[in-house]
Amino acid sequence: MIQYILHRVLLMIPTVFGISILCFGIIQLPPGDFLTFYVAELSAQGESVPEAQIAQLERQYGLGRPWYVQYFLWMKNIITKGDFGRSFTWNKPVSDLIWDRIAFTMLITLLTVVFVWIVALFIGKYAATHQYSLGDYIATFFGFIGLAVPNFLLALLLLYYSLKLFGLSPAGLFSPEYQDAPWSVGKWIDLLAHLWIPIVILGTAGTAGAIRILRANLLDELHKPYVITARAKGVPERTLIWRYPVRVALNPFISTVGWTLPDLVSGSIIVSVVLNLPTTGPLLLGALLQQDMFLAGSFILLVSILTVIGTLISDVLLAWLDPRIRFS
Amino acid sequence: MSNSNHNAGADILLDIRGLKTYFHLDEGTVRAVDGVDFTVPRGTTIGIVGESGCGKSVTAFSILQLVEKPGRIEEGSIVLNTGGQNRVDIAALDHDSEELRQIRGKDIGMIFQEPMTSLSMMYTVGFQMTEAIRLHMDVEKDEARDRAIEMLQAVGIPRPEQRFDAYPFELSGGMRQRVMIAMALSCDPMLLIADEPTTALDVTTQAQILELMQQLQEEFGMAIMLITHDLGVVAEMCSEVVVMYLGEVVEQADVDTIFHNPQHPYTQALLQSIPRLGHSHEGRLNPIVGSVPDPYHRPSGCPFHPRCTQIITGRCETVHPEISRLDPRHTVRCLLHEDPHG
Repeated sequence: MIQYILHRVLLMIPTVFGISILCFGIIQLPPGDFLTFYVAELSAQGESVPEAQIAQLERQYGLGRPWYVQYFLWMKNIITKGDFGRSFTWNKPVSDLIWDRIAFTMLITLLTVVFVWIVALFIGKYAATHQYSLGDYIATFFGFIGLAVPNFLLALLLLYYSLKLFGLSPAGLFSPEYQDAPWSVGKWIDLLAHLWIPIVILGTAGTAGAIRILRANLLDELHKPYVITARAKGVPERTLIWRYPVRVALNPFISTVGWTLPDLVSGSIIVSVVLNLPTTGPLLLGALLQQDMFLAGSFILLVSILTVIGTLISDVLLAWLDPRIRFS
Repeated sequence: MSNSNHNAGADILLDIRGLKTYFHLDEGTVRAVDGVDFTVPRGTTIGIVGESGCGKSVTAFSILQLVEKPGRIEEGSIVLNTGGQNRVDIAALDHDSEELRQIRGKDIGMIFQEPMTSLSMMYTVGFQMTEAIRLHMDVEKDEARDRAIEMLQAVGIPRPEQRFDAYPFELSGGMRQRVMIAMALSCDPMLLIADEPTTALDVTTQAQILELMQQLQEEFGMAIMLITHDLGVVAEMCSEVVVMYLGEVVEQADVDTIFHNPQHPYTQALLQSIPRLGHSHEGRLNPIVGSVPDPYHRPSGCPFHPRCTQIITGRCETVHPEISRLDPRHTVRCLLHEDPHG
């Protein structure tokens, strides 16, 4: 098992490296760079930029050099100094900007995954063992609604009604009075009071999908001979269902962790914008629009690493769950 | 055989009366088991034979209430006599009751057709065996482990201590069926139900498994109910035979009578359809004409009449035959043998 994990971790290194080159290349693809954007912005406001200043900036950021040289310098600084470069728009080191956001994103993501799993596990199991019952139909109905309604629409509706009915604004992760306050018990409670909203909204579609997947898989497993064997041994029905068929039906569940992580980091942009969440999504969107190369590149690199880590976690979980994978 | 009659009631382990198990489907009701009566004497092997779809497996599954929806036991009793005056009607128990669970795996063990899928691939052999042992015997973990290893040894699995920690997918089909048998017998049941235990195995393994079951019966003294479509297996293993057709018992007798003096035309036809070595000069096989009727459209009268070669025209199409007792241990359901007193 340890050997398996080590093997997988070693394989991650070239993968991440390859992805980072690809990301950097893609970011460089559109014509122009941040300076073009900057100059255009200033001239739009009627100001002119002296040639000398442009040349100086170009030199400072190494923008005139070929992309692979820029990439090499960037990677060298990340590996040796943990320096992800500077954000042009914010005029701050990228690392100052992203870690808070990444932390909040990870928090929301992890809690959402846990929420999705727990809810989907119990509802999916119920729907499968009570196939075609009223409860199953209700779960199916809400499942399809959850799948069909876009998350951002759900966010908008929730914002609108909570403001209209309760006079509350659920946007953001903190109430205004705690926004810039140092961490305290009160701030934590305030965070938790806000946190459930994005979790529910972001988790709805995932939960709905996971319920359908679990229900379908469990229905396949429920009548397999090994279940009947266990029943013929005298295992109580509740224990039996959780111990045997549910465990097999969990497989596809676990395999989705791999893409749930990056999906929640980059896929929740619109919801994050609507709900004004301090997560990575909105910042990444802005960075891409303004050709803020190092900021965008760092985000994409981190998202890629998260994807790879997510896949690793799901592989390890799968191996732990299913001896057939462990042994092959 | 007929001398076992004098205390027939006392050594009956399982007494099935009027068992009806139906499947309620959208297309109609399938009467998979339609009024089955037979008894299993203690410590003997009884064979249930018939073509596919005759209800033999459903009968076996009904005994432990393992029939799944849309199937349901409609009527009848399945009385298990666990010794002395302890009689339980299994058919009357709630399907998730403690009482039923104590019978499953403890008084009655069961093995199935597909050893490849009958064990869970997610748990070790040892886990699945000790699970059964600890459910029914008041033992600690390591005692259960010892018991499981002892049983693996008894079913002829080499290096049982290592196999205990193996996963089923690491074992061959024959080995898995041995594990199933070891598991089914681990709580010392009075009855082992074997639902086509060798159908999915190759011929040499089949013989080994059957031999093992006989040997274990001598050792443990349990009764075996062997469900099979293979009359060769029946001749080898069973002392009594129940022949089923379309959910009914058409003939029941001891094995010699069934093979040498069969009375029901269906039993006779079944026997004539087995290929035999050394009898090739007798010419072609005699398959039974036609096939098992559509379960939704059961023939009127005697269900076998459309395929019967000895049909009494005008009677068999309309009259459903009752069971006639030809001698104390030989019953037949056929108008040719109508009981003059019944």
